[in-house]
Amino acid sequence: MPLLEVTNLKQHFTTKKGFLSEKTIIKAVDGVSISIEEGKTLGIVGESGCGKSSLGRSVLQLVEPTEGSVKFKGEEVIGMNAAQMKELRKEMQIVFQDPYASLNPRNTVRQILEAPLIIHNVGSRAERKEIVESLMDKIGLRKEQLRNYPHEFSGGQRQRIGIARALTLNPKLIIADEPVSALDVSVQSQVLNLMLDLQQEMDLSYMFISHDLSVVQHISDRVAVMYLGKVVEIADVEQLYNHPMHPYTQALLSALPIPDPTKKRDRIILQGDLPSPANPPSGCPFHTRCPIATKECAEIVPNLEEKSTNHLAACIHV
Amino acid sequence: MLLEVNDVSLSLRRDGKYSKILDHVSFQVNKGETVGIVGESGCGKSMTALSLMRLLPDKAKLEGSVELQGEKITNYSKRKLEKVRGNQMSMIFQNPLTSLNPLQTVGTQIEESLILHTNMSKKERRVRVLKLLNDVGLPRVEELIDEYPHQLSGGMRQRIMIAIAMACEPQLLICDEPTTALDVTVQAQILELMNEIKEQTQMGIIMITHDMGVVAEVCDRVIVMYAGKVVEEAPVVELFQNPKHPYTRGLLNSIPKLGQRKQKLGSIPGTVPVPENMPVGCRFADRCSHVMDICKSTVPQVTEIKENHQTACWLYDEEGGNKDATTGSNQSQTTLHY
Ligand SMILES: Nc1ncnc2c1ncn2[C@@H]1O[C@H](COP(=O)(O)OP(=O)(O)OP(=O)(O)O)[C@@H](O)[C@H]1O
Ligand SMILES: Nc1ncnc2c1ncn2[C@@H]1O[C@H](COP(=O)(O)OP(=O)(O)OP(=O)(O)O)[C@@H](O)[C@H]1O
Ligand SMILES: [Mg+2]
Ligand SMILES: [Mg+2]
Repeated sequence: MPLLEVTNLKQHFTTKKGFLSEKTIIKAVDGVSISIEEGKTLGIVGESGCGKSSLGRSVLQLVEPTEGSVKFKGEEVIGMNAAQMKELRKEMQIVFQDPYASLNPRNTVRQILEAPLIIHNVGSRAERKEIVESLMDKIGLRKEQLRNYPHEFSGGQRQRIGIARALTLNPKLIIADEPVSALDVSVQSQVLNLMLDLQQEMDLSYMFISHDLSVVQHISDRVAVMYLGKVVEIADVEQLYNHPMHPYTQALLSALPIPDPTKKRDRIILQGDLPSPANPPSGCPFHTRCPIATKECAEIVPNLEEKSTNHLAACIHV
Repeated sequence: MLLEVNDVSLSLRRDGKYSKILDHVSFQVNKGETVGIVGESGCGKSMTALSLMRLLPDKAKLEGSVELQGEKITNYSKRKLEKVRGNQMSMIFQNPLTSLNPLQTVGTQIEESLILHTNMSKKERRVRVLKLLNDVGLPRVEELIDEYPHQLSGGMRQRIMIAIAMACEPQLLICDEPTTALDVTVQAQILELMNEIKEQTQMGIIMITHDMGVVAEVCDRVIVMYAGKVVEEAPVVELFQNPKHPYTRGLLNSIPKLGQRKQKLGSIPGTVPVPENMPVGCRFADRCSHVMDICKSTVPQVTEIKENHQTACWLYDEEGGNKDATTGSNQSQTTLHY
């Protein structure tokens, strides 16, 4: 049984542009099915606005999903009562993109790390002190630094504190939403190394959300590619990067600049920009930019199907 | 030689005091060449670009010389410099939304520098603007010319920025993170467009980016900056294959590479020092895994490694004594920190 199993999840937002104007429905997540095995990392990639963050948030129930099912350890999460949710939060945690905004500037690191323990009534004072200090050790900071405030740390250190905070209650699953996107490469690598070490040590599972294909490749076991609220392809990482099937995945990978000046390759240059999720194309959402689209693509909504073992794609031409 | 930057230093007022943001920055750009400027956030990449354009905050102190096609533009008056800006030299900024005027149509904004720098008639200008919009790959140009920036996507806005920058066919184009705010598929379109333009026009390009992938794809030569100084300069292949400065190595080792899944990445401990608190010797010393005593007390001079490849590091300085520079390849220098 997978640790997390998401089936046909939908997250629709209704927005109204102006007074009296018509309502538009944004299908930020539109029928996503994914699962994460214990101790494994599922990467979620896709361009801005494709619904990555919305997926993470609705899995965590930070927003109420419109439809679908989210099962954690086999138990349905949608519709849980407050007490059940509180228990669940111990096991499912989130790390945000912006290490500056996500830590309260008025609290010391000790207060930040201790807060979840106090909320959940974990341990005595002395035990909490011990937990917090061992967390500092895990993330490579000194325990003397516990009395410092967030602004006294570098971006990478702050993101490590954000990770430590997510770890305080010994979670099973961490949803990391662009955890390294705000960091310089030199610092990004520290956070990636840390996440990989912690995964080994604590048998953590990650849902790793990022628009950076090389970072996702580095950390993931399996990767889902999203386009306009839908998963268009999902496969084990090597399979996906070496044998992408969906024309969108192929274009995305070919667009990725490779840090090796001796390698020149053929690019698939897509036409145009991402369509608005408020007004998605008919049929296959990618057909307006797809280099191999045919007439049928504008009509038929392709299903995400297994095209080879464990490799799913949503395209009628593969 | 198209551009020659010699010993440019810049001081800015911060909290009532001057601090040195750039320290003796020197480099050149040839015709038809793309020179990359890389380095961590806060290293002075944007300030270098803005110094060339002299688009600096109030009370900035700029020293050194900048020569564009043999003309020393650092001596130019404000008026005279305005004739150069947008004409011989133009710049594309990082954020295409904030750098376009929301109240003016696309056409008006592109036309502006044509009015300033040419004697074209209104009709001629319209023809030129339409051609520019076409050249940067925008659709339905006849309508687009009368639209406002907010009606357009990020990729389209960045194309408009390029059209504005290209309006007077500059010899030098400075791009400050031109694709950082864009999605990869759109970034690929823009980089392709810039390469096409370069081939057609033979202009020189300065490409500021923090993305080593972008550097590898579009640059001919690379300048690595650290804390307001140039620490290494080399042709692009040489820089990736034979990086010398421990900072450059650190940057290259920290990028995840395809096919090396879950392997430990290199990283650089610590952070870029702030201008108010610059180390006296080598500015990288306190983050460097090869630090020697001399590094902490004395600034290293630029040393020639081979033709066109220079670095400022005591490991390679003849006088520096300890020459353990040749020990350890790029890979073995990987240090793990977090
Ligand atoms: N609370 C909300 N109300 C209305 N629309 C929303 C809301 N949250 C997200 N959206 C819309 O849903 C779509 C998906 O947004 P989401 O933030 O999930 O994308 P993303 O893939 O995380 O993008 P990015 O890479 O830019 O972070 C977007 O069009 C966004 O504008
Ligand atoms: N208006 C300003 N007044 C004073 N100092 C400034 C100003 N703008 C930037 N600085 C300082 O100048 C230094 C160099 O900044 P610069 O913007 O050139 O960095 P950068 O390399 O472009 O970084 P990034 O990758 O984040 O864009 C930094 O220490 C910064 O804090
Ligand atoms: Mg997001
Ligand atoms: Mg900058």
